[in-house]
Amino acid sequence: MKLAYYPGCTLHGTAREYDASTKAVCKAAGIELTEIDDWNCCGALEAIFDKELSMGLSARNNFKAQKTGLDLVIPCSICSHNLSRADKAMKNDSVFRAKIEKVLGEKYTGVNIKHLLDVVVNDLGIETLATKFTKSLNGIKAVPYYGCLLIRPSEVCKFDNPENPSSLDDIIKATGAECLPFTQKTKCCGGNLLMSKQDYAFILTKKLFDEAKAAGANCIVVACPMCHMLLDGQQGMIEKAHNTVIDMPVLYFTQLIGLAMGLGEKELELDKNMVSTSKLIASIGKEKPAQNKVQVKIEPAIEAEAAQ
Amino acid sequence: MIKSNDLDPDFKYEISKEPGGENIKKCFNCTGCTVGCPVTEIDKSYNPRMILRKAILGMRKEVLSDESLWLCASCYICYERCPQDVKITEVIGAIRAIAQREAKAGKIKLDNPKPLFDHLFIDSVKKNGKWYEAGVSGTFMLMTKGIGGAIGYAPMGLELWKKGKLSILPHTIKGKDEIKRICEEVEK
Repeated sequence: MKLAYYPGCTLHGTAREYDASTKAVCKAAGIELTEIDDWNCCGALEAIFDKELSMGLSARNNFKAQKTGLDLVIPCSICSHNLSRADKAMKNDSVFRAKIEKVLGEKYTGVNIKHLLDVVVNDLGIETLATKFTKSLNGIKAVPYYGCLLIRPSEVCKFDNPENPSSLDDIIKATGAECLPFTQKTKCCGGNLLMSKQDYAFILTKKLFDEAKAAGANCIVVACPMCHMLLDGQQGMIEKAHNTVIDMPVLYFTQLIGLAMGLGEKELELDKNMVSTSKLIASIGKEKPAQNKVQVKIEPAIEAEAAQ
Repeated sequence: MIKSNDLDPDFKYEISKEPGGENIKKCFNCTGCTVGCPVTEIDKSYNPRMILRKAILGMRKEVLSDESLWLCASCYICYERCPQDVKITEVIGAIRAIAQREAKAGKIKLDNPKPLFDHLFIDSVKKNGKWYEAGVSGTFMLMTKGIGGAIGYAPMGLELWKKGKLSILPHTIKGKDEIKRICEEVEK
């Protein structure tokens, strides 16, 4: 599989371990990534409310991707949202398209934009992915955390259920790690409140840790650099503000997949996470393989069926 | 008490002309947005339904200068669940855009630091093509928390730098003139 790749600003900065583990895992899974030329910032959450500016900045990247003739894969949920929203507007809003085409002097025909999680789960497929796994990650007890823009709004990202997504759950289970129930999986990490009301951002993040701990998790698995910034990068600040000890490693789903593929810790940059991952990695293989039961009790009939 | 003389019946039309605000008039005040809101969960005084209701009634000044306008975390839960497709997250964005213009014109005062951060961030993107994390965060901390407050973040900054996650200098792109032209075009 060949794809164009838009890393976005954070993957070349605070989320460098997401970039490294994405490249390593894609290489091992036979996905060839070509980074698009001279890409720019999508406007992130800071321009998200300035809709036309956000879409204009994002549209330039879509033009760059269009030149490659490939589908575009994006690991960041915010970038993925912004570029997809811009693509939709370029296709449906002729006034907006005319503005951007005039500035860049090119015609826009459209790009197929996908989040990396979508590519891994739906294009590659978990069964194919699992054929590359060389070790079972039993000992890791993870909660999957999806956050907001990865799955919402569903008119922009259509690959998973916006109220009860399961892509990350399925990956965790496939690695042999235990996937624990997590009712906070689609709640807000508080990322966009970090600058407007930090104490609220920290309360929202702390709620995620509280439930993850109560569920018995020893790590949280994410697919967004902003979620990771709050859960991993700000964890020390949250501990200080709430006078508590959290000590919860937060892995990108690509780091988890890489571990199951037997890739090296250096290659996956597991030493770049702010919260140490060494205790977690040492716990791998120390327990019997996890029995991943049906986790979410929506209908008792499903569980009864699974037990048979 | 709300006096009809103080209301601006055109406010809803003003919002619906902003990008993102188009669907505000569809709201029938069902409260679906508010019951699912993670911010309301921790602060009952934050009430997106009330912001929309006041806006539709025409309580222009009260809506624009309300601090709670800056508490939306843009998590899109209300946007997803709204039965009327009001696109609430983006309506809030449209109201914020009006508030920022009013503040710039000196008509209202905004106390929340978020517009300043957004402004610094977007400026750095306009200048470099990518956001300049060290520069923007440093300037923001100094402007909002003073030297003492900014120093509190130094250990985290140092740790990020040691891990190779924070660049002292900005990353730039070749197509900066294209960025400039795009910004000029959409801001016309």
